[in-house]
Amino acid sequence: MSVTDQGLLHRDKDTMTLNMGPQHPSTHGVFRVILEMDGEVVKTAEPEIGYLHTGIEKTSENKRYVHVIPMTDRLDYLNPPGNNLAFCLSTEKLLGVEIPDRANVLRVIMCELSRIASHLVWLGTHALDIGAMTVFLYCWREREMILDLNEEISGVRMMTSYIRIGGVAKDATRPWLDGIRDFIEYLPAKVDEYERLLTKNPIWLDRTEGVGAFTREEAINWSFSGPALRASGVNWDIRKAQPYSGYDNYNFDVPVLNNGDIFDRYRVRVEEMRQSRAIIKQALESLPEGPYKSPDNKVSLPPRETLHTSMEALIHHFKLVSEGISVPVGETYVPIEGARGEVGFYIVSDGTNVPARVKLRAPSFMAIPGMCKMMEGCYIADVVGIIGSIDIVMGEVDR
Amino acid sequence: MTSEEIIEKVKAGLADAIQDTALPQGDAVIFVAPDSWHAVAEFLKNDADLKFDYFSDVRGVDYLLEEREPRFESVYQLYSIDHQHSIRVRVGIGEDNPSVPTVSDLWKGALYPEQELFDMFGINVEGHPTMERLIMPKDWEGFPLRKDYPLTTETVTFSYNRDFKSDLVKSKPPTR
Repeated sequence: MSVTDQGLLHRDKDTMTLNMGPQHPSTHGVFRVILEMDGEVVKTAEPEIGYLHTGIEKTSENKRYVHVIPMTDRLDYLNPPGNNLAFCLSTEKLLGVEIPDRANVLRVIMCELSRIASHLVWLGTHALDIGAMTVFLYCWREREMILDLNEEISGVRMMTSYIRIGGVAKDATRPWLDGIRDFIEYLPAKVDEYERLLTKNPIWLDRTEGVGAFTREEAINWSFSGPALRASGVNWDIRKAQPYSGYDNYNFDVPVLNNGDIFDRYRVRVEEMRQSRAIIKQALESLPEGPYKSPDNKVSLPPRETLHTSMEALIHHFKLVSEGISVPVGETYVPIEGARGEVGFYIVSDGTNVPARVKLRAPSFMAIPGMCKMMEGCYIADVVGIIGSIDIVMGEVDR
Repeated sequence: MTSEEIIEKVKAGLADAIQDTALPQGDAVIFVAPDSWHAVAEFLKNDADLKFDYFSDVRGVDYLLEEREPRFESVYQLYSIDHQHSIRVRVGIGEDNPSVPTVSDLWKGALYPEQELFDMFGINVEGHPTMERLIMPKDWEGFPLRKDYPLTTETVTFSYNRDFKSDLVKSKPPTR
Protein backbone atom coordinates (compact mmCIF):
# COMPACT_ATOMS: atom_id res chain seq x y z
CA MET A 1 0.00 0.00 0.00
CA SER A 2 1.50 3.31 -0.95
CA VAL A 3 1.53 6.33 1.28
CA THR A 4 -1.00 8.20 -0.86
CA ASP A 5 -3.38 5.20 -0.99
CA GLN A 6 -3.76 5.33 2.75
CA GLY A 7 -4.44 9.05 2.73
CA LEU A 8 -1.50 9.51 5.03
CA LEU A 9 -0.83 12.96 3.65
CA HIS A 10 -4.11 14.18 5.14
CA ARG A 11 -3.67 12.82 8.62
CA ASP A 12 -3.54 15.13 11.58
CA LYS A 13 -0.27 16.93 11.97
CA ASP A 14 0.69 15.45 15.33
CA THR A 15 2.04 12.25 13.84
CA MET A 16 4.56 11.47 11.17
CA THR A 17 4.49 8.48 8.85
CA LEU A 18 7.83 6.78 8.45
CA ASN A 19 8.57 4.09 5.92
CA MET A 20 11.05 1.41 6.93
CA GLY A 21 12.21 -1.09 4.34
CA PRO A 22 11.86 -3.11 2.19
CA GLN A 23 15.55 -2.43 1.50
CA HIS A 24 16.74 -1.93 5.04
CA PRO A 25 19.67 -3.82 6.58
CA SER A 26 17.92 -4.35 9.91
CA THR A 27 14.75 -5.94 8.57
CA HIS A 28 16.62 -9.19 7.81
CA GLY A 29 15.43 -9.49 4.26
CA VAL A 30 12.85 -7.60 2.27
CA PHE A 31 10.35 -6.72 4.96
CA ARG A 32 8.60 -3.38 4.98
CA VAL A 33 6.89 -1.75 7.92
CA ILE A 34 5.04 1.55 7.85
CA LEU A 35 5.42 3.30 11.19
CA GLU A 36 3.24 6.07 12.43
CA MET A 37 5.32 8.10 14.84
CA ASP A 38 4.38 10.45 17.63
CA GLY A 39 7.73 12.09 18.20
CA GLU A 40 10.06 9.21 18.90
CA VAL A 41 7.32 6.81 19.96
CA VAL A 42 5.71 4.34 17.54
CA LYS A 43 1.91 4.69 17.53
CA THR A 44 1.06 2.02 14.95
CA ALA A 45 3.16 -0.32 12.87
CA GLU A 46 1.73 -1.77 9.68
CA PRO A 47 3.61 -4.71 8.12
CA GLU A 48 3.91 -5.23 4.38
CA ILE A 49 5.18 -8.54 3.02
CA GLY A 50 5.34 -10.38 -0.28
CA TYR A 51 8.51 -8.96 -1.79
CA LEU A 52 10.20 -12.37 -1.80
CA HIS A 53 7.21 -14.39 -3.01
CA THR A 54 8.45 -17.11 -5.35
CA GLY A 55 5.39 -19.36 -5.54
CA ILE A 56 7.10 -22.38 -4.01
CA GLU A 57 3.79 -23.88 -2.87
CA LYS A 58 2.34 -23.64 -6.38
CA THR A 59 5.52 -25.04 -7.93
CA SER A 60 5.46 -27.94 -5.47
CA GLU A 61 2.09 -29.02 -6.82
CA ASN A 62 3.78 -29.66 -10.16
CA LYS A 63 6.89 -31.48 -8.94
CA ARG A 64 7.49 -35.00 -7.69
CA TYR A 65 7.93 -35.47 -3.96
CA VAL A 66 11.70 -35.87 -4.23
CA HIS A 67 11.98 -32.68 -6.28
CA VAL A 68 10.21 -30.66 -3.60
CA ILE A 69 13.02 -31.27 -1.08
CA PRO A 70 15.55 -28.84 -2.66
CA MET A 71 12.83 -26.16 -2.70
CA THR A 72 12.17 -26.64 1.03
CA ASP A 73 15.83 -25.71 1.62
CA ARG A 74 15.14 -22.31 0.16
CA LEU A 75 12.18 -21.50 2.40
CA ASP A 76 13.95 -21.01 5.72
CA TYR A 77 17.42 -20.64 4.27
CA LEU A 78 19.11 -20.44 7.66
CA ASN A 79 17.81 -23.81 8.81
CA PRO A 80 17.48 -26.00 5.69
CA PRO A 81 17.71 -29.45 7.35
CA GLY A 82 14.75 -28.54 9.58
CA ASN A 83 12.59 -27.90 6.53
CA ASN A 84 13.82 -31.07 4.80
CA LEU A 85 12.96 -33.05 7.90
CA ALA A 86 9.48 -31.53 8.23
CA PHE A 87 8.64 -32.34 4.62
CA CYS A 88 10.09 -35.86 4.80
CA LEU A 89 8.29 -36.68 8.07
CA SER A 90 4.92 -35.68 6.60
CA THR A 91 5.53 -37.71 3.44
CA GLU A 92 6.80 -40.70 5.41
CA LYS A 93 3.73 -40.57 7.64
CA LEU A 94 1.51 -40.93 4.55
CA LEU A 95 3.76 -43.67 3.14
CA GLY A 96 4.02 -45.49 6.47
CA VAL A 97 7.79 -46.01 6.17
CA GLU A 98 9.95 -47.01 9.10
CA ILE A 99 13.19 -45.04 9.37
CA PRO A 100 16.35 -46.93 10.49
CA ASP A 101 17.90 -45.84 13.80
CA ARG A 102 21.15 -44.68 12.21
CA ALA A 103 19.26 -42.41 9.81
CA ASN A 104 17.31 -40.89 12.71
CA VAL A 105 20.50 -40.14 14.65
CA LEU A 106 22.15 -38.60 11.56
CA ARG A 107 19.03 -36.45 11.04
CA VAL A 108 19.16 -35.24 14.63
CA ILE A 109 22.87 -34.35 14.35
CA MET A 110 22.26 -32.43 11.14
CA CYS A 111 19.22 -30.56 12.52
CA GLU A 112 20.97 -29.58 15.74
CA LEU A 113 24.09 -28.39 13.91
CA SER A 114 21.83 -26.30 11.73
CA ARG A 115 20.01 -24.93 14.76
CA ILE A 116 23.34 -23.76 16.18
CA ALA A 117 24.29 -22.20 12.82
CA SER A 118 20.92 -20.45 12.61
CA HIS A 119 21.20 -19.09 16.15
CA LEU A 120 24.74 -17.90 15.37
CA VAL A 121 23.45 -15.92 12.39
CA TRP A 122 20.66 -14.55 14.54
CA LEU A 123 23.01 -13.55 17.38
CA GLY A 124 25.51 -11.94 15.04
CA THR A 125 23.01 -9.87 13.07
CA HIS A 126 20.87 -9.02 16.11
CA ALA A 127 23.90 -7.76 18.01
CA LEU A 128 25.05 -5.84 14.95
CA ASP A 129 21.63 -4.17 14.71
CA ILE A 130 21.92 -2.98 18.29
CA GLY A 131 25.52 -1.86 17.76
CA ALA A 132 27.81 -4.69 18.88
CA MET A 133 30.10 -5.28 15.93
CA THR A 134 32.52 -7.79 17.45
CA VAL A 135 29.95 -10.49 18.16
CA PHE A 136 28.97 -10.50 14.51
CA LEU A 137 32.51 -11.40 13.41
CA TYR A 138 32.90 -14.07 16.09
CA CYS A 139 29.57 -15.70 15.21
CA TRP A 140 30.43 -15.84 11.53
CA ARG A 141 33.74 -17.50 12.38
CA GLU A 142 31.98 -20.36 14.18
CA ARG A 143 29.20 -20.64 11.59
CA GLU A 144 31.83 -21.09 8.91
CA MET A 145 32.93 -24.30 10.63
CA ILE A 146 29.40 -25.69 10.50
CA LEU A 147 29.14 -24.79 6.81
CA ASP A 148 32.42 -26.65 6.20
CA LEU A 149 30.94 -29.69 7.95
CA ASN A 150 27.86 -29.41 5.72
CA GLU A 151 30.10 -29.35 2.68
CA GLU A 152 31.92 -32.46 3.84
CA ILE A 153 28.74 -34.52 4.23
CA SER A 154 26.54 -33.20 1.41
CA GLY A 155 28.81 -31.29 -0.97
CA VAL A 156 26.87 -28.08 -0.39
CA ARG A 157 27.48 -25.45 2.24
CA MET A 158 23.98 -24.12 2.90
CA MET A 159 21.20 -25.78 0.88
CA THR A 160 22.20 -29.29 1.85
CA SER A 161 19.08 -31.33 0.91
CA TYR A 162 20.73 -33.97 3.08
CA ILE A 163 17.57 -35.42 4.60
CA ARG A 164 15.60 -37.46 2.07
CA ILE A 165 12.39 -39.44 2.10
CA GLY A 166 13.23 -42.75 3.78
CA GLY A 167 16.50 -41.68 5.41
CA VAL A 168 19.42 -39.44 4.54
CA ALA A 169 21.34 -38.82 1.31
CA LYS A 170 24.56 -40.60 2.25
CA ASP A 171 26.25 -42.23 5.17
CA ALA A 172 28.36 -40.33 7.71
CA THR A 173 32.02 -40.05 6.79
CA ARG A 174 34.96 -40.31 9.17
CA PRO A 175 36.17 -36.69 8.57
CA TRP A 176 32.64 -35.41 9.20
CA LEU A 177 32.27 -37.23 12.51
CA ASP A 178 35.77 -36.18 13.60
CA GLY A 179 35.01 -32.60 12.58
CA ILE A 180 31.82 -32.54 14.66
CA ARG A 181 33.71 -33.99 17.66
CA ASP A 182 36.27 -31.21 17.40
CA PHE A 183 33.56 -28.60 16.92
CA ILE A 184 31.49 -29.53 19.97
CA GLU A 185 34.65 -29.45 22.09
CA TYR A 186 35.43 -26.01 20.71
CA LEU A 187 31.95 -24.44 20.88
CA PRO A 188 31.17 -24.04 24.65
CA ALA A 189 34.09 -21.70 25.30
CA LYS A 190 32.97 -19.57 22.37
CA VAL A 191 29.36 -19.36 23.59
CA ASP A 192 30.73 -18.24 26.97
CA GLU A 193 32.72 -15.63 25.10
CA TYR A 194 29.58 -14.20 23.44
CA GLU A 195 27.92 -14.07 26.82
CA ARG A 196 30.91 -12.27 28.32
CA LEU A 197 30.59 -9.67 25.61
CA LEU A 198 26.84 -9.13 25.96
CA THR A 199 25.02 -10.54 29.00
CA LYS A 200 26.38 -8.08 31.56
CA ASN A 201 27.17 -5.31 29.12
CA PRO A 202 25.31 -2.19 30.39
CA ILE A 203 24.63 -0.88 26.86
CA TRP A 204 23.17 -4.24 25.82
CA LEU A 205 21.04 -4.40 28.96
CA ASP A 206 19.71 -0.88 28.43
CA ARG A 207 18.70 -1.72 24.90
CA THR A 208 17.10 -5.09 25.61
CA GLU A 209 15.76 -5.38 29.17
CA GLY A 210 12.03 -4.69 29.38
CA VAL A 211 11.83 -3.76 25.69
CA GLY A 212 9.25 -5.43 23.46
CA ALA A 213 7.74 -7.49 26.26
CA PHE A 214 4.90 -9.95 25.66
CA THR A 215 3.05 -11.77 28.42
CA ARG A 216 2.38 -15.50 28.32
CA GLU A 217 -1.25 -15.01 27.21
CA GLU A 218 -0.34 -12.51 24.50
CA ALA A 219 2.41 -14.70 23.11
CA ILE A 220 0.06 -17.72 22.87
CA ASN A 221 -2.80 -15.68 21.42
CA TRP A 222 -0.57 -14.18 18.70
CA SER A 223 0.67 -17.69 17.76
CA PHE A 224 4.31 -17.17 18.64
CA SER A 225 6.35 -20.35 18.74
CA GLY A 226 9.83 -21.57 19.49
CA PRO A 227 12.29 -19.40 21.47
CA ALA A 228 10.04 -16.31 21.28
CA LEU A 229 7.27 -18.24 23.05
CA ARG A 230 9.57 -19.88 25.60
CA ALA A 231 10.96 -16.47 26.58
CA SER A 232 7.39 -15.55 27.63
CA GLY A 233 7.16 -18.40 30.12
CA VAL A 234 5.52 -21.11 28.01
CA ASN A 235 7.23 -24.45 28.39
CA TRP A 236 6.49 -25.88 24.96
CA ASP A 237 9.14 -27.53 22.85
CA ILE A 238 7.87 -29.95 20.19
CA ARG A 239 11.02 -32.06 20.66
CA LYS A 240 9.68 -32.82 24.16
CA ALA A 241 5.90 -32.50 23.66
CA GLN A 242 5.50 -34.61 20.49
CA PRO A 243 8.90 -36.29 20.03
CA TYR A 244 9.94 -37.18 16.48
CA SER A 245 13.09 -38.77 15.01
CA GLY A 246 14.00 -40.24 18.40
CA TYR A 247 14.33 -36.96 20.33
CA ASP A 248 12.90 -38.75 23.37
CA ASN A 249 16.19 -40.71 23.64
CA TYR A 250 18.25 -37.64 24.44
CA ASN A 251 18.66 -35.89 27.73
CA PHE A 252 18.40 -32.12 27.36
CA ASP A 253 16.76 -29.13 29.03
CA VAL A 254 14.30 -26.68 27.51
CA PRO A 255 15.23 -23.15 28.64
CA VAL A 256 12.14 -21.17 29.72
CA LEU A 257 12.20 -17.56 30.96
CA ASN A 258 9.37 -15.32 32.07
CA ASN A 259 9.87 -11.68 31.12
CA GLY A 260 9.19 -12.08 27.39
CA ASP A 261 11.44 -9.15 26.46
CA ILE A 262 14.33 -8.97 24.00
CA PHE A 263 16.84 -9.89 26.69
CA ASP A 264 15.02 -13.10 27.61
CA ARG A 265 14.71 -14.13 23.97
CA TYR A 266 18.45 -13.63 23.70
CA ARG A 267 19.15 -15.74 26.77
CA VAL A 268 16.81 -18.55 25.63
CA ARG A 269 18.57 -18.83 22.27
CA VAL A 270 22.06 -18.75 23.76
CA GLU A 271 21.10 -21.52 26.17
CA GLU A 272 19.54 -23.48 23.28
CA MET A 273 22.93 -23.50 21.56
CA ARG A 274 24.42 -25.23 24.60
CA GLN A 275 21.56 -27.73 24.72
CA SER A 276 21.91 -28.48 21.00
CA ARG A 277 25.57 -29.17 21.60
CA ALA A 278 24.60 -31.61 24.39
CA ILE A 279 22.19 -33.40 22.02
CA ILE A 280 24.88 -33.70 19.32
CA LYS A 281 27.33 -35.10 21.86
CA GLN A 282 24.86 -37.79 22.97
CA ALA A 283 23.92 -38.55 19.38
CA LEU A 284 27.55 -39.11 18.41
CA GLU A 285 28.05 -41.45 21.36
CA SER A 286 24.91 -43.43 20.53
CA LEU A 287 25.34 -43.52 16.72
CA PRO A 288 24.31 -47.11 15.89
CA GLU A 289 25.60 -49.22 13.02
CA GLY A 290 23.17 -50.15 10.27
CA PRO A 291 21.58 -48.78 7.11
CA TYR A 292 21.35 -45.01 6.64
CA LYS A 293 18.14 -45.19 4.60
CA SER A 294 15.03 -47.32 4.52
CA PRO A 295 15.55 -50.80 3.03
CA ASP A 296 12.13 -50.40 1.36
CA ASN A 297 13.07 -50.04 -2.31
CA LYS A 298 9.71 -48.53 -3.18
CA VAL A 299 10.91 -45.43 -1.33
CA SER A 300 14.71 -45.29 -1.44
CA LEU A 301 17.06 -46.34 -4.23
CA PRO A 302 18.58 -49.84 -3.90
CA PRO A 303 22.37 -50.02 -3.32
CA ARG A 304 24.30 -49.30 -6.48
CA GLU A 305 26.20 -52.62 -6.56
CA THR A 306 22.99 -54.71 -6.53
CA LEU A 307 21.91 -53.27 -9.89
CA HIS A 308 24.36 -55.58 -11.68
CA THR A 309 23.14 -58.75 -10.01
CA SER A 310 19.46 -58.27 -9.10
CA MET A 311 16.67 -57.83 -11.66
CA GLU A 312 14.31 -56.59 -8.95
CA ALA A 313 16.75 -53.92 -7.83
CA LEU A 314 17.13 -52.78 -11.43
CA ILE A 315 13.35 -52.45 -11.85
CA HIS A 316 13.01 -50.56 -8.57
CA HIS A 317 15.83 -48.25 -9.57
CA PHE A 318 14.26 -47.58 -12.96
CA LYS A 319 10.79 -46.96 -11.55
CA LEU A 320 12.02 -44.67 -8.78
CA VAL A 321 14.18 -42.59 -11.10
CA SER A 322 11.72 -42.34 -13.98
CA GLU A 323 8.43 -42.16 -12.08
CA GLY A 324 9.20 -41.24 -8.47
CA ILE A 325 7.48 -42.21 -5.25
CA SER A 326 3.71 -42.65 -5.37
CA VAL A 327 2.12 -41.63 -2.09
CA PRO A 328 -1.24 -43.10 -0.96
CA VAL A 329 -4.32 -40.85 -0.87
CA GLY A 330 -4.59 -38.83 2.32
CA GLU A 331 -3.66 -35.65 4.14
CA THR A 332 -1.34 -35.18 7.06
CA TYR A 333 0.65 -32.71 9.10
CA VAL A 334 3.69 -33.35 11.30
CA PRO A 335 5.03 -30.40 13.34
CA ILE A 336 8.70 -30.21 14.28
CA GLU A 337 10.73 -27.75 16.33
CA GLY A 338 12.70 -25.66 13.86
CA ALA A 339 15.19 -22.98 14.84
CA ARG A 340 12.40 -20.36 14.91
CA GLY A 341 9.54 -22.47 16.19
CA GLU A 342 6.89 -24.84 14.90
CA VAL A 343 7.63 -25.87 11.32
CA GLY A 344 5.47 -28.36 9.48
CA PHE A 345 4.21 -29.28 6.06
CA TYR A 346 0.54 -29.98 5.45
CA ILE A 347 0.51 -32.39 2.52
CA VAL A 348 -2.54 -33.54 0.58
CA SER A 349 -1.91 -36.52 -1.69
CA ASP A 350 -4.23 -37.69 -4.46
CA GLY A 351 -2.39 -40.98 -4.90
CA THR A 352 -0.04 -39.87 -7.67
CA ASN A 353 3.68 -39.11 -7.64
CA VAL A 354 3.00 -35.36 -7.38
CA PRO A 355 1.58 -33.75 -4.20
CA ALA A 356 -1.88 -32.16 -4.60
CA ARG A 357 -1.17 -29.49 -1.99
CA VAL A 358 1.88 -28.53 0.02
CA LYS A 359 1.54 -25.87 2.71
CA LEU A 360 4.32 -24.73 4.99
CA ARG A 361 3.48 -23.62 8.49
CA ALA A 362 6.15 -20.95 8.89
CA PRO A 363 6.90 -19.61 12.39
CA SER A 364 8.19 -16.26 11.05
CA PHE A 365 5.02 -15.70 9.02
CA MET A 366 2.81 -16.39 12.02
CA ALA A 367 4.85 -14.08 14.28
CA ILE A 368 4.79 -10.96 12.08
CA PRO A 369 1.42 -9.45 13.19
CA GLY A 370 2.33 -10.02 16.84
CA MET A 371 5.75 -8.51 16.29
CA CYS A 372 4.19 -5.33 14.86
CA LYS A 373 1.78 -5.21 17.81
CA MET A 374 4.82 -5.39 20.08
CA MET A 375 6.33 -2.29 18.43
CA GLU A 376 3.43 -0.05 19.44
CA GLY A 377 4.49 2.26 22.24
CA CYS A 378 8.19 1.54 21.77
CA TYR A 379 10.85 4.02 20.74
CA ILE A 380 11.89 3.98 17.12
CA ALA A 381 15.38 2.80 18.05
CA ASP A 382 13.85 -0.34 19.58
CA VAL A 383 12.08 -1.36 16.37
CA VAL A 384 15.23 -2.93 14.92
CA GLY A 385 15.84 -4.69 18.23
CA ILE A 386 12.34 -6.19 18.21
CA ILE A 387 12.58 -7.36 14.60
CA GLY A 388 15.95 -8.93 15.33
CA SER A 389 14.78 -10.64 18.51
CA ILE A 390 11.87 -12.42 16.79
CA ASP A 391 14.36 -13.68 14.19
CA ILE A 392 12.26 -13.57 11.04
CA VAL A 393 13.42 -15.11 7.77
CA MET A 394 11.63 -13.63 4.78
CA GLY A 395 12.16 -16.74 2.66
CA GLU A 396 9.59 -18.64 4.71
CA VAL A 397 7.32 -15.63 5.23
CA ASP A 398 6.70 -14.98 1.54
CA ARG A 399 7.35 -18.50 0.22
CA MET B 1 -6.09 -36.79 25.73
CA THR B 2 -5.68 -39.28 22.93
CA SER B 3 -7.19 -38.59 19.52
CA GLU B 4 -10.08 -40.98 20.18
CA GLU B 5 -10.96 -39.24 23.45
CA ILE B 6 -10.82 -35.82 21.77
CA ILE B 7 -13.25 -36.97 19.09
CA GLU B 8 -15.59 -38.52 21.68
CA LYS B 9 -15.51 -35.32 23.72
CA VAL B 10 -16.21 -33.08 20.70
CA LYS B 11 -19.04 -35.36 19.55
CA ALA B 12 -20.61 -35.28 23.02
CA GLY B 13 -20.37 -31.49 23.24
CA LEU B 14 -21.49 -30.60 19.71
CA ALA B 15 -23.46 -33.49 18.31
CA ASP B 16 -25.37 -31.61 15.61
CA ALA B 17 -22.53 -29.36 14.41
CA ILE B 18 -20.06 -32.14 13.55
CA GLN B 19 -20.61 -33.58 10.08
CA ASP B 20 -18.09 -36.38 10.31
CA THR B 21 -14.94 -37.49 12.12
CA ALA B 22 -11.84 -39.38 11.05
CA LEU B 23 -8.57 -40.71 12.47
CA PRO B 24 -6.05 -40.69 9.59
CA GLN B 25 -2.68 -42.02 10.88
CA GLY B 26 -3.88 -41.39 14.43
CA ASP B 27 -4.65 -37.65 14.07
CA ALA B 28 -7.99 -36.33 15.36
CA VAL B 29 -9.91 -34.80 12.42
CA ILE B 30 -13.42 -33.35 12.45
CA PHE B 31 -15.53 -32.08 9.55
CA VAL B 32 -17.61 -28.94 10.09
CA ALA B 33 -19.89 -26.81 7.89
CA PRO B 34 -18.93 -23.11 7.45
CA ASP B 35 -22.13 -21.96 9.22
CA SER B 36 -21.34 -23.74 12.46
CA TRP B 37 -17.56 -23.28 12.38
CA HIS B 38 -17.44 -20.24 14.67
CA ALA B 39 -19.55 -21.93 17.37
CA VAL B 40 -17.37 -25.05 17.13
CA ALA B 41 -14.22 -22.93 17.44
CA GLU B 42 -15.56 -21.24 20.57
CA PHE B 43 -16.34 -24.61 22.13
CA LEU B 44 -12.89 -25.99 21.25
CA LYS B 45 -11.17 -23.00 22.78
CA ASN B 46 -13.21 -22.61 25.95
CA ASP B 47 -13.94 -26.20 26.99
CA ALA B 48 -11.76 -26.98 30.04
CA ASP B 49 -10.81 -30.50 28.94
CA LEU B 50 -10.01 -29.55 25.35
CA LYS B 51 -8.68 -25.98 25.76
CA PHE B 52 -7.23 -25.48 22.28
CA ASP B 53 -5.60 -22.16 23.10
CA TYR B 54 -2.96 -22.18 20.35
CA PHE B 55 -3.85 -21.48 16.72
CA SER B 56 -1.29 -23.35 14.70
CA ASP B 57 -2.31 -22.77 11.08
CA VAL B 58 -5.04 -22.67 8.47
CA ARG B 59 -4.56 -23.82 4.90
CA GLY B 60 -6.80 -23.78 1.89
CA VAL B 61 -7.16 -26.80 -0.37
CA ASP B 62 -8.75 -26.88 -3.83
CA TYR B 63 -10.26 -30.25 -4.74
CA LEU B 64 -11.20 -29.25 -8.30
CA LEU B 65 -9.31 -32.09 -10.00
CA GLU B 66 -10.88 -34.73 -7.78
CA GLU B 67 -14.34 -33.33 -8.56
CA ARG B 68 -15.20 -33.43 -4.91
CA GLU B 69 -18.18 -31.55 -3.50
CA PRO B 70 -17.71 -29.00 -1.92
CA ARG B 71 -14.76 -27.84 -3.97
CA PHE B 72 -12.74 -25.87 -1.39
CA GLU B 73 -11.69 -26.74 2.08
CA SER B 74 -10.02 -24.67 4.76
CA VAL B 75 -8.16 -26.85 7.23
CA TYR B 76 -7.47 -25.53 10.73
CA GLN B 77 -4.81 -26.93 13.00
CA LEU B 78 -5.31 -26.24 16.70
CA TYR B 79 -3.09 -27.17 19.62
CA SER B 80 -3.47 -27.11 23.39
CA ILE B 81 -0.35 -25.92 25.22
CA ASP B 82 -1.57 -27.23 28.59
CA HIS B 83 -2.86 -30.63 27.50
CA GLN B 84 -0.37 -31.13 24.63
CA HIS B 85 -2.88 -32.48 22.13
CA SER B 86 -3.97 -31.25 18.73
CA ILE B 87 -6.96 -31.40 16.40
CA ARG B 88 -7.52 -30.72 12.72
CA VAL B 89 -10.80 -29.15 11.60
CA ARG B 90 -11.76 -29.44 7.94
CA VAL B 91 -14.36 -26.93 6.79
CA GLY B 92 -15.79 -27.67 3.34
CA ILE B 93 -16.64 -24.55 1.31
CA GLY B 94 -18.79 -24.48 -1.83
CA GLU B 95 -17.63 -23.16 -5.18
CA ASP B 96 -20.17 -20.33 -5.55
CA ASN B 97 -19.28 -17.27 -3.55
CA PRO B 98 -16.95 -19.16 -1.18
CA SER B 99 -16.89 -17.77 2.35
CA VAL B 100 -16.11 -18.87 5.89
CA PRO B 101 -16.44 -16.99 9.21
CA THR B 102 -13.31 -15.59 10.81
CA VAL B 103 -11.91 -16.93 14.07
CA SER B 104 -9.41 -14.10 14.49
CA ASP B 105 -11.58 -12.76 17.32
CA LEU B 106 -10.72 -15.93 19.28
CA TRP B 107 -7.08 -16.33 18.23
CA LYS B 108 -5.21 -13.23 17.06
CA GLY B 109 -2.71 -15.51 15.33
CA ALA B 110 -5.39 -16.34 12.74
CA LEU B 111 -5.27 -12.84 11.23
CA TYR B 112 -2.44 -13.42 8.77
CA PRO B 113 -3.16 -16.97 7.56
CA GLU B 114 -6.85 -16.11 7.04
CA GLN B 115 -5.83 -13.15 4.93
CA GLU B 116 -3.60 -15.49 2.95
CA LEU B 117 -6.60 -17.78 2.46
CA PHE B 118 -8.35 -14.94 0.66
CA ASP B 119 -5.22 -13.96 -1.25
CA MET B 120 -4.45 -17.42 -2.60
CA PHE B 121 -7.91 -19.05 -2.92
CA GLY B 122 -10.39 -16.18 -3.04
CA ILE B 123 -12.23 -17.52 -0.02
CA ASN B 124 -13.94 -14.58 1.64
CA VAL B 125 -13.33 -14.62 5.40
CA GLU B 126 -16.39 -12.91 6.93
CA GLY B 127 -15.64 -10.52 9.76
CA HIS B 128 -11.91 -10.31 9.09
CA PRO B 129 -10.70 -6.72 9.62
CA THR B 130 -8.44 -6.51 6.53
CA MET B 131 -9.82 -8.60 3.69
CA GLU B 132 -7.29 -7.63 1.02
CA ARG B 133 -4.23 -9.01 -0.78
CA LEU B 134 -1.40 -10.05 1.54
CA ILE B 135 1.42 -11.65 -0.43
CA MET B 136 0.42 -10.93 -4.02
CA PRO B 137 0.44 -7.33 -5.31
CA LYS B 138 -2.68 -5.30 -4.53
CA ASP B 139 -3.80 -5.17 -8.18
CA TRP B 140 -3.24 -8.87 -8.91
CA GLU B 141 -6.01 -10.69 -10.75
CA GLY B 142 -6.96 -14.27 -10.00
CA PHE B 143 -6.19 -16.56 -7.08
CA PRO B 144 -2.87 -18.33 -7.65
CA LEU B 145 -3.30 -21.53 -5.64
CA ARG B 146 -6.61 -22.50 -7.23
CA LYS B 147 -6.21 -25.51 -9.47
CA ASP B 148 -7.67 -23.69 -12.49
CA TYR B 149 -5.01 -20.98 -12.23
CA PRO B 150 -2.40 -22.01 -14.79
CA LEU B 151 1.33 -22.25 -14.33
CA THR B 152 2.52 -19.82 -16.98
CA THR B 153 5.27 -17.34 -17.49
CA GLU B 154 4.44 -13.83 -16.49
CA THR B 155 3.70 -11.53 -19.43
CA VAL B 156 6.10 -8.61 -19.20
CA THR B 157 5.56 -5.31 -20.95
CA PHE B 158 9.20 -4.84 -21.79
CA SER B 159 11.86 -7.51 -22.15
CA TYR B 160 15.01 -5.90 -23.27
CA ASN B 161 17.49 -8.72 -22.83
CA ARG B 162 15.76 -11.42 -24.84
CA ASP B 163 15.12 -9.25 -27.89
CA PHE B 164 18.57 -7.78 -27.72
CA LYS B 165 20.27 -11.15 -27.68
CA SER B 166 18.26 -12.60 -30.55
CA ASP B 167 18.93 -9.48 -32.64
CA LEU B 168 22.58 -9.78 -31.87
CA VAL B 169 22.72 -13.38 -33.02
CA LYS B 170 20.72 -12.80 -36.21
CA SER B 171 21.92 -9.49 -37.53
CA LYS B 172 25.42 -9.04 -36.25
CA PRO B 173 27.85 -11.84 -36.90
CA PRO B 174 30.93 -11.51 -34.75
CA THR B 175 33.53 -9.30 -36.36
CA ARG B 176 37.21 -9.10 -35.66
